[in-house]
Amino acid sequence: MGHYSDPPLLVLASLASGPKHGHAMIEDIAGMCGTRLGPGTLYGAIARLEQQGWIVPLPPEERRQPYRITAEGLRVLRAKLTTLRHFAKAGLGRLEAS
Amino acid sequence: MNRAAAHLLTRLYPRRWRERYGAEFEAFLATGRGGLRASANVVWSALFEHIFPTPGLKTDQQPRSFGVIVRQPSAFLPLAMSFTALALVLGHVALFGAVREADEGATAHLWQLLMAGQMPVLAFFAIKWLPRAPRPTLGVLALQAGAALASMAPIFFLNL
Repeated sequence: MGHYSDPPLLVLASLASGPKHGHAMIEDIAGMCGTRLGPGTLYGAIARLEQQGWIVPLPPEERRQPYRITAEGLRVLRAKLTTLRHFAKAGLGRLEAS
Repeated sequence: MNRAAAHLLTRLYPRRWRERYGAEFEAFLATGRGGLRASANVVWSALFEHIFPTPGLKTDQQPRSFGVIVRQPSAFLPLAMSFTALALVLGHVALFGAVREADEGATAHLWQLLMAGQMPVLAFFAIKWLPRAPRPTLGVLALQAGAALASMAPIFFLNL
């Protein structure tokens, strides 16, 4: 409990601060919210995000494959985080009222 | 994780997924932490990819006919198990006659294992193939049901 887990959203949020490869994403996400994505989970999210056009691969660096977020990905991330902020605000408001 | 394990785990994914992500995923696994937890995560994700493929990935252009689907391991394995169970019963009847025994012997236990063991395989087959090719998959499921009924028939008709 307490760890947020929506792998595609976590990957988008990680890439919002700049391009990263898989291991860097895992460490960044763990530092951001405490969730450590498994390798299969991470690549499942990467595959779906790339097919939706929300992230794109960059030229490989040695054996590592970095990805960057697209403009459409940034728009989706902003929309999802805004919804989450409203949801969190409403939920916390109810907790304080009770 | 060592390279052999990374290669084996990557091979669990469907071919069209591997064609796009296989090389980089294998390198990613080989340069990362191994362990049971990471391996289990990959196995689960590969299974998930088989059942719910990533939308938009270029799919293989193989025709999804009855002949192609019935050759899938999850299609012919239950059939083979049913026919093996039928052969066991018929062999037992041929050797010892159609007599009901008070105690279940090894043949009965093997028959039960074969019939029960094919259930998860059948479920996997139906979940994987029904959404992709409903009509031929229903045909294969009917064949599997027929084979299962055929292996049960001697038990009921000979009152074993």
